[in-house]
Amino acid sequence: MQRIRLLLAAAAIVLLGFLGFAQPSAAEGKLSHPAEECIKEIEAANSIDVDCQKAPNPLVPEVNEIIWGVVGFTVVFGFIWKMGLPSIKSGMNARTERIRSDLDAAEAQRTEASGILAEYQAQLTDARSQSTKIIEEARQAADEVKATLVAKAEADITELRNRATSDIEAAKVQAIADLRGEVASLAIGAAEQVVERNLDHDTNVALVESYINQVGAGR
Amino acid sequence: MLALEFPPLSHIVNWPGFFGTDGAWYEINKVVLIYAFAVVLTILVFALGNKKQLVPTGMQNVAEMAVEFVEDGIVMETMGKEGIKYTPYLLSLFFFIFFTNIFEIIPIIQMPASARIALPLFLALLSYVIYHGAGIKSHGFGYFKHALVPPGVPVALLILVIPIEFISKFLVQPFSHTVRLFANLLAGHILLVTFAVLTSGLFVPKWYAVFAPLPLIGVIFFTAFEVLVSFLQAYVFTLLTGVYINAAQSHEH
Amino acid sequence: MLLAEITNKGLAALTYGLGAIGPGIGIGYLVGQAVQAMARQPEAAGMVRTTMFLGIAFVEALALIGFVVFFLAGA
Repeated sequence: MQRIRLLLAAAAIVLLGFLGFAQPSAAEGKLSHPAEECIKEIEAANSIDVDCQKAPNPLVPEVNEIIWGVVGFTVVFGFIWKMGLPSIKSGMNARTERIRSDLDAAEAQRTEASGILAEYQAQLTDARSQSTKIIEEARQAADEVKATLVAKAEADITELRNRATSDIEAAKVQAIADLRGEVASLAIGAAEQVVERNLDHDTNVALVESYINQVGAGR
Repeated sequence: MLALEFPPLSHIVNWPGFFGTDGAWYEINKVVLIYAFAVVLTILVFALGNKKQLVPTGMQNVAEMAVEFVEDGIVMETMGKEGIKYTPYLLSLFFFIFFTNIFEIIPIIQMPASARIALPLFLALLSYVIYHGAGIKSHGFGYFKHALVPPGVPVALLILVIPIEFISKFLVQPFSHTVRLFANLLAGHILLVTFAVLTSGLFVPKWYAVFAPLPLIGVIFFTAFEVLVSFLQAYVFTLLTGVYINAAQSHEH
Repeated sequence: MLLAEITNKGLAALTYGLGAIGPGIGIGYLVGQAVQAMARQPEAAGMVRTTMFLGIAFVEALALIGFVVFFLAGA
């Protein structure tokens, strides 16, 4: 779209230019003054070798152009030599210096950062190994504690069991002794009854049962 | 008959003075005006380019690019480190020639000052003095042996070689140095004038006016081409000056 | 007013045209070789370009001397 508009504008300008220049060109024969003179001269001499056709030799320098050329070039050279080039060069050198110092600073910072990083990593490794060590120690300590505890518990259990066994044993002995005494006294009591009354069988049985019931109720 | 008003050469490159009488040494004509423009433009480029910003913009870019171009592309390429002291001279050559050339295509002026032989001749002779001076300064009077006797030439051939070297180094070299710049610009100028005259001559209410756009396209094309030529000739003139200085002052053969 | 009258001018122009043939061929060959060199070794392009312009400048001088001779003889 932009391009088309540009092309149209260019075409319009060219057209305007044609129209503008058409006027003077259309009026033919209106040549510039020296050319008109020259053409007249050529027609008069009926030859093209006339003076006005002969240009001054272009290989011969004009004095005024040399002089002004020397002046102009001297000014340009003096300006560039004393002011232009040094100031531009100093700007460029300053930039080079600046970039170089920036790069150096960045390099230094990078070195520093990598040093710090290495330090941190060393510290980290250290801490990690330390923590591993601590954990290992703790585990060992825990194992030891566990072992002692287990041993102690086992000892306790054994002791308790032993004590319980001996207690039971003692109680059993006591109970047997008690029972034995009781049975003896029972037998003696029953025997007394039997001997006291010496009655018939039924009375004996009733007597024994009542005694036993008496004893059972008495306990 | 086509009414071609082709101006004689004197009307293409000779300009009447508008200050001072014709032929006076201080006469100011169009060519002198172009010198003045070139001086002002060079100073402007360096004055506006001298901003010393860290990130260059606009004119500063142009000035620094030009300085770098001349220093790295011309001085370092041709002379190396020991040529750095010639940078101001080569830089002013480049700027002055380029600006006097570029007026070839700047509307209204449309005349390269280098199409007059005065400026190229002066600059070539100045360079001639400078590079032979640099040679004599570097070698003493052994410079002439250095310049005239190429190494490794059998003695019998010297009688042939020395005159050839003398003619090429001391006579033809400044001449070709002058003519290269002068003739290129004059030829370009004549080319532009030819096409412009052709366009104007065809631009009449006749049937052959349909051909008028062809030379017009030619004018446009060659105007663009002359921009390149202006730059290239300034570059070549400066480059050759550097090469001649290096050839004169270098110690290795 | 003949267009092609054999005059000094015509001869000078013709001679210049003849003189331009050699440098034309030379510059064509030179630039072709330089482009080839640059394509083969792009890292040496800067040096090749400088040398190419130098060569062009020297070869071109011949054509331009012809151009000057044209003015000396004809104009």
